[in-house]
Amino acid sequence: MVSAMEIYMLLPKTNCKKCGLPTCMAFAVGLLGREKKLEECTPLFEEKKYEAKLAKLKEIVAPLESASETGLVIHPEKCFGCGNCVIACPVNVAAEPTRVGAGLGPEGDRVILRVEDGVVVANNLQECKRFGPNKILCNACTATCPSKAIEFV
Amino acid sequence: MAVDVKVVTYRDIFQYGAEKMGLHSEEYLRLSASIILDKGDMASLGIAEGGKVLLENELNRIVVNATASADKPHPGLAFMIKSPWSNQLEGDESCPAGASGFKGIQAQVSPSSEGITQMDEILQRLRA
Amino acid sequence: MTEFNYKTCTGCSLICEDILFPDAGSGSVSQARNLCRKGQAHYQALFSERTGPLVEGSEVSLDQAIERAAEILRNASAPVIYGWSNCTLEAQEVGLALAAKIGAFVDDPSSYCEGQLMERILSGKIPSCTLDDVRNFADTSIFWGSDPSSTQPRHLSRFSYFPRGEKRQKSYEEERTCIVVDVRESPTARLCPNTTYRVLPGEDLQFLEAILAVLEGKIPKFGDKKKMIELGSIIKKTEYGVIFPGPLMLVSLQDQMDRFEELLRRLNEITTFKVVPMTGQYNSRGYSQLLFDRTGRVKGVKFTASGEAAEAPSLVEAVKGADAILVLGSDPLLDLPLGLARSFAAAPIIAIDPRRSLTADVARVVIPSAISGLETGGTALRTDGVRVTFEPSMKTNQLADEQILTRIMEAI
Repeated sequence: MVSAMEIYMLLPKTNCKKCGLPTCMAFAVGLLGREKKLEECTPLFEEKKYEAKLAKLKEIVAPLESASETGLVIHPEKCFGCGNCVIACPVNVAAEPTRVGAGLGPEGDRVILRVEDGVVVANNLQECKRFGPNKILCNACTATCPSKAIEFV
Repeated sequence: MAVDVKVVTYRDIFQYGAEKMGLHSEEYLRLSASIILDKGDMASLGIAEGGKVLLENELNRIVVNATASADKPHPGLAFMIKSPWSNQLEGDESCPAGASGFKGIQAQVSPSSEGITQMDEILQRLRA
Repeated sequence: MTEFNYKTCTGCSLICEDILFPDAGSGSVSQARNLCRKGQAHYQALFSERTGPLVEGSEVSLDQAIERAAEILRNASAPVIYGWSNCTLEAQEVGLALAAKIGAFVDDPSSYCEGQLMERILSGKIPSCTLDDVRNFADTSIFWGSDPSSTQPRHLSRFSYFPRGEKRQKSYEEERTCIVVDVRESPTARLCPNTTYRVLPGEDLQFLEAILAVLEGKIPKFGDKKKMIELGSIIKKTEYGVIFPGPLMLVSLQDQMDRFEELLRRLNEITTFKVVPMTGQYNSRGYSQLLFDRTGRVKGVKFTASGEAAEAPSLVEAVKGADAILVLGSDPLLDLPLGLARSFAAAPIIAIDPRRSLTADVARVVIPSAISGLETGGTALRTDGVRVTFEPSMKTNQLADEQILTRIMEAI
C-alpha cells in the first residue's frame, strides 16, 4: 500500500494551508486516512506545473477511494479464489460454524467474504470487526492471503 | 555475454486460467513465454526488467521475456512456468509430470533482440 | 434466492462438492459461488473452442470418426493409450478393457515420478490418510516441493491449515503449523515465512538426512543448523503430521524413495505421520488405483494379446514405436518435454477431447466428448482416495468418454 511519504513527495510542499491543514505532510496523512480529498489541495488542480504530479497522485489515491470504511481493498486481478480469507474471517465462521468453520464455502448471505466467479467479494462490511465504534484491528483476511489480493489501507 | 542457469519449472494459477481461455491468446503467451532471473544475473547481462532473452541449450533455443526475481538471491537459478516454452528446452530423461528433472533444464541466457517465440512456431517445431 | 443444489468441480484433484450456480438452469456459469480461480477457469473450458468430429482434418459425422478410430486401433500392432486422468472411473474401466483387448501400452502423465509415491501409498508401504483426517487431526502440514495455493487452491482453506477440525478447534491460529520446503518463495511459502525451508534442486536428500539427524539429537550437516533443530522440535511436538510431496521433491528423490520410506518409519516411531499425494488432474488417483488393482503397477503397463500385463517399455520407447496412439482427455504436445512431444506428433493419433488442443490439431482422428464432471456424471477418486460421485452441472449433446470408448470397442 502507498505510504504518506510517497504521497508527500508528489504534493506542492509549500505548506500554503489552503486545504485547511498546517502542512503538506499533514495533508498526506489526511489523504491516506481518507479524511481529506485530493480536490482540497486546490493548487494541485489550478497550477499547470503540478500536472504530472497530479496525474500520478490520482493513480495512487484511487484504491484509497474505493476502500470501504473498514479500509478493506480487494484486488480481484491478484486473487486466487483460494478461500483462505473466507475461512479465516471470524465473522464468517460465527455466521456459518458448520460450513465455513469446517472449510466449506458459505451457503447464505450473512457472511462478509465469499468467493464468486473465482475471486473474493466483500459484503456486509458493517459486520466486520474493524467497523464501528468498538472496532479492533482484526487482520485475519489479509494475513492469510497468498497474493496480497486483499489489503487494508 | 551469457550466463549458465539451471531452470526450475513451476505451476502458476493465472497461466492455468489463460490456457483454458485459449492456447493461442496474447494472455497465454505473455504468461508462458517468460522467465524469472536472479537480479544479479540480470544486471551482469545488462537486461532490463521485461527485456528479451535468448535461452539456448543443446536441444533448442527460445526467446522469452525476463523479469527480475523478488526472492532472496539465487544466482545461476531461474524459474519458468511449466509451459510449451519450457518444454522446448527439456529432455526426456526429466519428469514429464510437472517439474524439470533432477538434472534440471540447463540453458545459457543472453540478451536478445529477436522476437518472442510464438505458439505457432512451437507447434511447427513439434511437427517437424 | 439460491437453491442449495450443490455441484461438483473437476478442476483439480480436490473435487470440491460445494459449488453453487444460481443460474444453472439457463446454462450459465456466472455468479458461481465457491469456485476458486482454477475451477472458474476449468468451467470456462465449456465456452472455449470445442472439437467436432474430424478425420485427417476434414469434418465427418461422429459415426465415421468412431469407425475410423476403431479401424486404426484394430490394425495397430503397437498401440498406446495415453491420458486417462481426466476421465471418470467408469470411462477408465472401459478404456482398460479396450487396452487389454488390443494389447496396448497404457500410461498417464503423472506416473513418471509421482508414480513411485503413489505405488507405495496404494500398497501400504507409506502410511496415508484422507484429507478429512487432515482437517480433523493434523497439527503439522508439510508442503515439500508443492505449492497448493497454485495447484489445488482450496487445499489450505478446506483441509490443511485454516479450517477447524474435530481435534483442531483453534486451527491455524494456535493449533496448526504449516511448513513449506521449496526452491523458491511460492505463494504458499508467503503464508508461513518463519517455517519455510529453502532447498535447492537436488538437495532434497540432504534435507531429508538432516531431519533424520536432528531427530537423533545430532547436529545436521545441511541447512541453517538453528532452523533445522527448530524443525526437529516442531516434529517432536507434533501429534499428527502430514507430508504433501510435490513433483520437484519426488523427481529429486526418485532413486532414493527408500530413504523417504525410512523417514516415515522413523517419524512414526516418534509420533503419527502420514503422506497424502498431490495429484494433478482430478481423477489421476482413480486411474492409478484401477491399474494397481488390475496389475499391481501404476506406471506404464503393456497388455499382451491375452490381456495380461507384461514387461513394459518406458513411455519414451512405447511412443517412439507406436503405430497408433489413443489420447484420452490429455494434451501431450502441450505438457510433455520436447522429445516426447515430437514422438507423439509423429505417430497416428486419435484424440478424444472436448476442447481443441495442440494434440487434437495434429491428430488423424478427433472425437469430441463431453467435459467429464461438468457435462457428464460419474465417479472419481479424490487425491486422498476418497470416492466422489457427481452429477453433471450442465446438459450436453456430446457423448461421454465412456460411451465413446464402448462404441469403439464394439466396432473393433
